[in-house]
Amino acid sequence: MNRGMDRVHATSVEEAAVALRGVAVRRDGFALGPLDLSLPAGMVTAVVGPNGSGKSTLLRLLLRMEPFEGEAAVLGQRLTPDSDVSLRERIGFLSELPHAYESGLTADEKARFASIWYPGWSWDRYERLMRSLDADRTKKLGKLSKGMRRKAELAVAMSHDPELLLLDEPSSGLDPSAWKTMLDELTQFMDRGDRTLILATHITEEVRRLADYVLFMHRGRCLGLYEKDRLFEAWRVLAVQREDGAAGRDDAARLLKQAPGAQGAQEAGPGICRIESDSPEETAAYCTSAGYRILSSQRMELEEIMACLVRKGDAGR
Amino acid sequence: MWIPVHIDENRPEPLYHQVEVQLRGLILSGRLAEGTLLPSIREFAADLRCSAITVRRVYQDLENEGLLRTRQGTGTFVAGIDQSARDGYRLERVVEAFERAVETGLQLECTREEMERIWEDAYKRKLAESDGEKGEGR
Repeated sequence: MNRGMDRVHATSVEEAAVALRGVAVRRDGFALGPLDLSLPAGMVTAVVGPNGSGKSTLLRLLLRMEPFEGEAAVLGQRLTPDSDVSLRERIGFLSELPHAYESGLTADEKARFASIWYPGWSWDRYERLMRSLDADRTKKLGKLSKGMRRKAELAVAMSHDPELLLLDEPSSGLDPSAWKTMLDELTQFMDRGDRTLILATHITEEVRRLADYVLFMHRGRCLGLYEKDRLFEAWRVLAVQREDGAAGRDDAARLLKQAPGAQGAQEAGPGICRIESDSPEETAAYCTSAGYRILSSQRMELEEIMACLVRKGDAGR
Repeated sequence: MWIPVHIDENRPEPLYHQVEVQLRGLILSGRLAEGTLLPSIREFAADLRCSAITVRRVYQDLENEGLLRTRQGTGTFVAGIDQSARDGYRLERVVEAFERAVETGLQLECTREEMERIWEDAYKRKLAESDGEKGEGR
C-alpha cells in the first residue's frame, strides 16, 4: 500500500500544459480568480462546475481572448498581450457557442480558412474526422442543426493536430452515436501521450470515460484539482446507525458532522445518518467509537461530490 | 484487444490495485500468452473508464515485476514467464482465498471443527456438482 502511495507522488509531478499564477479576470458582474493552478501535459482535464462558474472564461483566457491580470503560461510559453501567433497555432479550440459570422460558410469553406491559418493542417485528417463524425460538408453551417454544426466544428478544431485541445461543452447537441464517436476520436487523439485535452463539461459520463483530472469551479473560483480515480476512491457516503437502536439523538447529524473527514451529514431515517466523507476510514473509525454501527459505505457520484465542495466553498467565503 | 478486467467501484481497494491484481492473474495463469500486445494506456483507460494515470501505474508495476515489457514505439507486451512463477502464483491464490474464508469464519466465531466440517461439505458438494455437469455434457 505504501509503495503505491510513493508511486503516486513520483508520477504526479507532470510537466504543466497550463500554469496560472494569480490570474484574474474582472468584468461587470463577473470575476474569475485569482487562480493559481497548473494543469498537467499529456493528460485530459475535465473542468466542471455550475453555469456561470467561469469554465468558459478560463478556456478563453488561455487563448488570450479575455484580458486578465497575473501570470499565465501555456505549453511553456508565457502569455503576454503581444505573444506571437505561433502559440495559437499549437492550440485547437471549440467555443461554447458558434460564431455568427461563420454561419454563411460551409464546413469545407471554414476548413479552407483554417488550413491557411494553421501550418499543421492536414486535409487527410480533416476528411477522416468528417467521415468518422458523419458531418455535413456542403450545407451552410447556419443551416445545420446544432449537433451537425458541432461535429463539423470539432473536426475543424482537431485537423491541425494541436498539442493542446480546448473544448467548451463539446457534446452539446450531439446524438448518442455521434457522442460515442467523439469520445473515440478524443481517446485516439490522446493516444500518443504528448497531447493535452482540457474540456469544460456538464456531462458526468464524459468525465468518467475521458478525464484523468477533474478541476472543480464555482463562482469564478477553483474548488480543487483532483486525480479522477483518487477522487472517486476517496469520497464515500456512509450510512450509520446508533448501536443502542431506538435511543435516537436529535442532534446526531450535527454531532457526526464533526467527524474527521465528514463533509456533510443528514438524518436519513429513525436513528440512521448519512455522512459524506472524503476520508471514509477515519470517519468510520470516529463513528464506531461514538457508538454508531456502519451500515454501508458507497461511492459518490460526481454531482454529489461537487455539491459538497460547493457547500464547503460557500461556507469558507 | 479487449482484456477481461472488471472494476468494482464499491470495493475499498484502490482502482489501480484492482486492475493490477487481475492483470497479473491473467498473465500468470497463462490466459494472456507471452508476446500478447496489450492495449495502449489511453485505450485501456477508456475501456475501464479509469484514468490513464492508473493504467500507467499498473503497467509500470508489472514491468518492474518482469511480467510486461515495453518496446518504444510499438507498445506493451506480455513477457515470458517461467513455470515456477506460474505454479507459485496458482498456490498463492488458493492460499489467499482460504485465508479470507478463515477470516470470515473467525469474525463470525466459528470453531475449528465447524470450519473443517464446512470445508468438507463444500469440497464434496463442488466435486459432486462438477461431476454432475460432466454427466450432463455426455
